[in-house]
Amino acid sequence: MKTYELFIGPQHVGITGNFSVILELEGNVVKKATPNPGFLHRGFEKLMEMRGFIHNVPIVCRICVPDPDPNEANYAMAVEKLLGIEPPPRAKYIRTIVLEFSRIASHLFTFGGHAGSIGLYTIPNWTISDRDFILDLFEMLTGGRVYHIFIYPGGVRRDLPDGFIEKAKDVLNYLEKRLDDYNKLYFDSYMFKKRARGIGIINKEDAIEWGVTGPNLRASGVKADTRKDDPYAAYGELDFEIPVLTGGDAYDRIMIRRMEVVESIKIIRQALDNIPDGPIREKVPNPMRFIVPPGDAYVKVESSKGEYGYYMVSNGKDKPYRVYIRGASMTHGIHILEKLLPGNYLADVSQIMFSLDVCPPEIDR
Amino acid sequence: MVEGVVELIKGNFSDVEIVIPEHQEKRVHISVEKEKVKEIAKFLKDNGFRHLSFITCVDWIDEGKFELVYGLYSYEEKIVVLIKTKIDRDNPKQETLLPLWDQAQTYEREIHEMFGVYFDGNPGLTPFILEDWEGIPPMRKDFDSRKYSQITYDSEAK
Repeated sequence: MKTYELFIGPQHVGITGNFSVILELEGNVVKKATPNPGFLHRGFEKLMEMRGFIHNVPIVCRICVPDPDPNEANYAMAVEKLLGIEPPPRAKYIRTIVLEFSRIASHLFTFGGHAGSIGLYTIPNWTISDRDFILDLFEMLTGGRVYHIFIYPGGVRRDLPDGFIEKAKDVLNYLEKRLDDYNKLYFDSYMFKKRARGIGIINKEDAIEWGVTGPNLRASGVKADTRKDDPYAAYGELDFEIPVLTGGDAYDRIMIRRMEVVESIKIIRQALDNIPDGPIREKVPNPMRFIVPPGDAYVKVESSKGEYGYYMVSNGKDKPYRVYIRGASMTHGIHILEKLLPGNYLADVSQIMFSLDVCPPEIDR
Repeated sequence: MVEGVVELIKGNFSDVEIVIPEHQEKRVHISVEKEKVKEIAKFLKDNGFRHLSFITCVDWIDEGKFELVYGLYSYEEKIVVLIKTKIDRDNPKQETLLPLWDQAQTYEREIHEMFGVYFDGNPGLTPFILEDWEGIPPMRKDFDSRKYSQITYDSEAK
């Protein structure tokens, strides 16, 4: 049979962001997939070498649009490690709250995208509007809806405003109720099970070998989570579970995210109830002469996509000498797609991508 | 435990510089000769460090060196080991890690494009993110991106 080439993207049906894949098809079966990134290359790593340590804070959040806060947390943590300071406990709790809300918001995006890609068009409308309640909270806390520029070296920018805790709890209760609605239309739906089960399977050994991280790895049966294994912010003091599934297919990768939303709600409730009093920032150098001692540090957090790391090198000047950003999508979006797509129907391409939760700005940077 | 990993490496390799960085838990930094990288990576992989987290490059232009940094992670020990090696800036060549990890391809391709480091034995060092790029690799310190954008995009500066 004759094969033909099909270009998908850069306005993509399977991904939130600009990304393209060149497919080689035989009939409607994929024979070969070549991811083609680069549409969102903004040169952040180079930019950061030319700006002061504090001046980089407003740009790092733009590296991953649906889940911006892990960037801020990572950047702040890397600078803190090199300076040898620790943020105060209250700041750590506020960071945890922000990071978990960001995770829920990002997972809601993924649910919407995945459900849309298998023809359940009501779910995207629901999840995107429910995500707005979280954005309202972010606006109340930080002043920004999508980008927050909130977590910075030494602590956080603002304390919780009056009424935030009550409002946050209302949103959590609402989201918890909404998950039942999602169940009826999406997670328990026959169509979702029929379409997503057995699609794009990654087994446990391959998952480790191929560098899969985060929810995708846990859906393949590996119990690993940076929040537990290498605790940052206030995660070490909070009680939560790491859900693990063993199927490794698109169905399990979505279901694990649903379980994570439940855990995140639990984490935020605990953090809101147990938040300690005290200052919200540690003393840091004068912003105009923000000098960081020479050294290098690799820090990582568990973002909604997987292992998100920053490798920062300082040579003792007022600007970072080198910042390398390890996005989870770098592996998921390039290497794993090349491995998973061949053999699948064209109609399943976009749902495989959404089940991997690829974030293209993280690949291009 | 970090000490266990340090012992393990010291017991099997003599000419390795091991640093446990200050204020950083669960991190071990080791510096080696460039010929040794693959051997140590293979040794660590066989001892539980099965996750290749990243490969990156730092341009030490004053020294005339590129520093390659390999991040490995063990799901059992829960420790990150960074293997660092310095290679010549004039003739930047390094052996590929493809035989150990398939996924090294993505990182090596990126470093080849952004720093011009050539990975011996990697057949797929094709353009990755940049399009029709003919200048020097842009992440090198001697590439001035401000000047480039002025010349390319600012009509008055021309």
